[in-house]
Amino acid sequence: MAAAEAVGGGRDVRRWLTALAAGERRRLGLAVVAGVISTLATLGQLTLLAGVISQLLVEQATPASQLPALTAMVGLLLVRALAIFSQERLGRSASLAIRSRVRGELLDHLDRLGPGWLAGRHSAGLASQLVEQVEALDGYFARFRPSLALSVISPLLVLLVALWLDWLAALFLLLSAPLIPLFMALVGMGAERLNREQFEAVARLSGHFIDRVRAITTLQLFGRTAAATGEVHAAADDYRRRSMRTLRIAFLSSAVLEFFASVAIAVVAIYVGFGLLGYITYGPSPELTLFSGLLVLLLAPEFFQPLRTLAQHYHDRAAALGAADGLLAILEAMPDPTREAKARPPQAPGALLELAHASVSHPGRGRVLGPVDLGLMAGEVVVLTGPSGAGKSTLLQLLAGFVGPGAGERRLAADTAFAWMDQRPLLIQGSLADNLRLAAPEASARAMDEALGKAGLGELVQVLPEGLDTRVGERGVGLSGGQAQRLALARVFLSEAPLALLDEPTASLDAETEARVIVALQALAEEGRTLVIATHHPALIAMAGRCLAIEGGLVTGVSHG
Amino acid sequence: MADPRPAGSPLATLRPWLALLDRRRGRLWAGAALMALTLACAIGLLALSGWFITATGLTGLLLAAGVAASLEVYVPGGGIRFFAVARTLSRYLERLYNHDTVLRLLADLRARLFGVLAGLDAQSLSRRRASDWLNRLTADIDTLDSLYLRLLAPAGVGLVAILGLSAFLALFAPRVGLAVGTLLLVGWLWLTLGQARLGLGASRSQVTELEALRGRLVERLQGMAELEAYASLASHRRELAAIEARLYLGQRRLGLLVALGNALASLVVGLSMLLVLWLAAQAWAAGVLSGPLMVMMALALLAMSESLSSLPAAFTWLGATLGAAERLNELETRVERPLPVACVDDVTELADGPLAVELERVTLRYPGALAAALDDVTLHIAPGERLALCGASGAGKSSVADLLLRQLTPDVGVLRLGGVALAAWPEAALRQRVAALTQRIDLLDDSLAANLRLAAPEAEEGALWRALAWVGLDDWAQELSEGLATRVGEGGQRLSGGQARRLALARLHLREPSLVILDEPFAGLDADTAQALASRLDAWLAGRSVLYLVHQIDAGPIQPPAIDRTLTLSEGRLLTPHSETPPPAGGE
Repeated sequence: MAAAEAVGGGRDVRRWLTALAAGERRRLGLAVVAGVISTLATLGQLTLLAGVISQLLVEQATPASQLPALTAMVGLLLVRALAIFSQERLGRSASLAIRSRVRGELLDHLDRLGPGWLAGRHSAGLASQLVEQVEALDGYFARFRPSLALSVISPLLVLLVALWLDWLAALFLLLSAPLIPLFMALVGMGAERLNREQFEAVARLSGHFIDRVRAITTLQLFGRTAAATGEVHAAADDYRRRSMRTLRIAFLSSAVLEFFASVAIAVVAIYVGFGLLGYITYGPSPELTLFSGLLVLLLAPEFFQPLRTLAQHYHDRAAALGAADGLLAILEAMPDPTREAKARPPQAPGALLELAHASVSHPGRGRVLGPVDLGLMAGEVVVLTGPSGAGKSTLLQLLAGFVGPGAGERRLAADTAFAWMDQRPLLIQGSLADNLRLAAPEASARAMDEALGKAGLGELVQVLPEGLDTRVGERGVGLSGGQAQRLALARVFLSEAPLALLDEPTASLDAETEARVIVALQALAEEGRTLVIATHHPALIAMAGRCLAIEGGLVTGVSHG
Repeated sequence: MADPRPAGSPLATLRPWLALLDRRRGRLWAGAALMALTLACAIGLLALSGWFITATGLTGLLLAAGVAASLEVYVPGGGIRFFAVARTLSRYLERLYNHDTVLRLLADLRARLFGVLAGLDAQSLSRRRASDWLNRLTADIDTLDSLYLRLLAPAGVGLVAILGLSAFLALFAPRVGLAVGTLLLVGWLWLTLGQARLGLGASRSQVTELEALRGRLVERLQGMAELEAYASLASHRRELAAIEARLYLGQRRLGLLVALGNALASLVVGLSMLLVLWLAAQAWAAGVLSGPLMVMMALALLAMSESLSSLPAAFTWLGATLGAAERLNELETRVERPLPVACVDDVTELADGPLAVELERVTLRYPGALAAALDDVTLHIAPGERLALCGASGAGKSSVADLLLRQLTPDVGVLRLGGVALAAWPEAALRQRVAALTQRIDLLDDSLAANLRLAAPEAEEGALWRALAWVGLDDWAQELSEGLATRVGEGGQRLSGGQARRLALARLHLREPSLVILDEPFAGLDADTAQALASRLDAWLAGRSVLYLVHQIDAGPIQPPAIDRTLTLSEGRLLTPHSETPPPAGGE
């Protein structure tokens, strides 16, 4: 899904990341300032170092006389350590703030998109995006962006000092300066290609592994696990051989950087050495001293250090680009504007909800429902029947406001709350009580017991040692499908909502459980609530005051019970 | 922070994985040696350059003062060039070589883990088949795979470098070597063990916090309809925010520690350089040490920062690696299927022909479940009999199948096959004699042939075609351009549900089982196909015991062929135990 949009979205992705960084301009800017201070402290420290050595060896000063300089160096070391610490902290804080905000925006956006949009999506995959892809932005903001700025500023500072010392040596460094963008491109290309290929290959390999794990029961039943283990190893080994081929090239880019950093030291050392011996009479060389020569040598590695740091963090950028791509695909989904519009009250007296010539269209699929005219009177039971895919669920979603009417109107009496139940009841991690309080946050234990009793779960909860405090584990472990369904039904009872919308409430239940749920639904109708039920079940259809046959997105027949 | 660590020291946790690394000992040592060589070249380059410049500077001064002095420049010059090239080269080779090693380790790890998973029972597996669990498993493997490259090798090389450099400096001035060695060692201990200790709790719990966040998010996205209906979105959002706050509190703490570690690493290197400079200057003043050597010593220290700078980040997050190792270790401890306790030694004791099946008062309870999955179930299948077990999903049918396939062991009760306790059946014999078409069809992302050969690795192509013909897939397969080599896609997604089911049935046909368990054999098949298949299935099932698992006996147009007897399960209990129900009218 995201991959298809990735092709055209590259520029947007970068713009989005830059806009996010702009929101944390202050902290990210301060992180760069801290990085500059660290460079300055290093420069000061190296200058003092060369100075002390020169004082000792050339001026024959005593070690004790150099104590002030050494003390200053300790001070600069502390400044540098503090600057390093601050740079990291600021980068991290900025990253945490950005990630938290991005996740918040995504959640807001998903709320606006609503259950109708979510219905067709793989929720576990989306949840993973909201966790992993948001977290994958970390390194980009915390490390990459500050080091990108520093990779320009710090070498310039180093170059200025070198220029002051010996313009010829500075020229050596400067000559490599035009190469720096080239390095960056090389490193970038290498890292990006590496990252992309690695990512694809790893995904394929994980796919193979996961494929075999999914089939493990079958492999066990056919007694083939040993052979499959060998296959898993062989696949991983094959991946290794193929990926080594690309790595050989990809690592070259960083080797080039490493090579220039090493050669710069060597060239400067030999130039300075020969200059000091008086072998070079050209340019500034005769003026070289031990101090300036040593300092130029010490500056050479510092000139390249920021670039090496950047190269180390380049994979953070690639990871963030990939993640941003997936996240933007969510943010670019358009919420249904009619969903958010405030509904007008119904026109017929006593009506709770009205659909006037309302229809629902999905992009690409055209109209899937309607036009439908429907008025729900307080206390009536309406059943929707029809083949699967006919539009029953869409009609319920339209009634609930999960999707907006593309044309026509949905009118709702003021402050009409509604209860909802479908085939995949929500079970939140927590106690039974937590699950019930979703529908009524203030509900008393007695009210909850009553609701459970009406939903046919009373006996079960009574035998549980911890009663309402029993934890229903992660993803509803511990509750069978039918029990979860009845828990959702208990929520309907507990909520004061006058209107309840139920999508196939008895599907996938065995006959006995089904019978219990039907009794419970009858009790709900007797309480005077308005029910709209999409179902095939004869017993539920028999409850109906009105039964709407739905086919091809239209109400094709109405029978009265 | 509280340390919720279960019994066992970090070393004990990592031991099995260290043992796995140990199998590639040679490569690991070679990779570490390349790392050390790279570092040695970096130190040598800067140190020798410093020596060279100082020596030339001092000689230059003498020459300027008119003193006849000379300096041999070609050997040091050559040395400098050598170090520069060698450093680049060894760094490149080191990255390449170590990456290769890591990928080899990854292959080892995956194979090992797969072996472990293959030993799990159905219950442990079913909970672990969820995609998020699988993702975590692969993430854990990847985490462990950094054990060598991020933790062990850099720390080891750093230690060797400290000792080596101190010894080298001690050659010229023992006091300098000793002092700087001590300082660097203390620093090394802090940057590795100290950082690890401080970050342990927070880095270990990061995975759990992420899981909690993911769990809540799945909840929200799956249940948004109910949350929106009950106006609970805001309160649920507050819980999400609380989990995220906990997660980020841990990250903030870890980030703080890493920042502290990096600052300390730079401080330790800087201070030891100053220490060396101070002590070497004393030695120089005392005439024990030459000026160039003094400079060389100080500069050698500057190059050490390269080896220490990667340690804090890696070790602060040691808890994450330990957590991954713990989860994988925990998986290994689950492989305790009470496999053949008193195995039948002599396979001939197991009678040929259709197997009798006996379940005697079997109770099965899944941990954490509120009710038993099977509650005191007794049922018998006579040799050659065809029993249909009915019930809604969750009634316990699959549990019966899993018990018979020895994917699960009952909490109470006994199972016998052919009169022999199931627990005593040798694994190979059991797999050969009992075959099942499970509800979930597992197809490998591989060719048709490979999927068929799961059942019979040695089967010739002709046998595969006959099996396909038996399920009526031969015409379809012949029209495929790649024939039997056609890939079926992930989870068989390039096949329709009905094709996948028939392919799975064809697998059974390649074997000669004595007991066949068929879970909804015709699910997803159209009436004509099912009708055609039913008669062939009927013939093939002759002379075998059969257990059909069906949702409802009167639902669907096609019934499994020739049911002798029907029993119904509801919420783990047999509704009509022992009472013989008349066979239904035999479909339509």
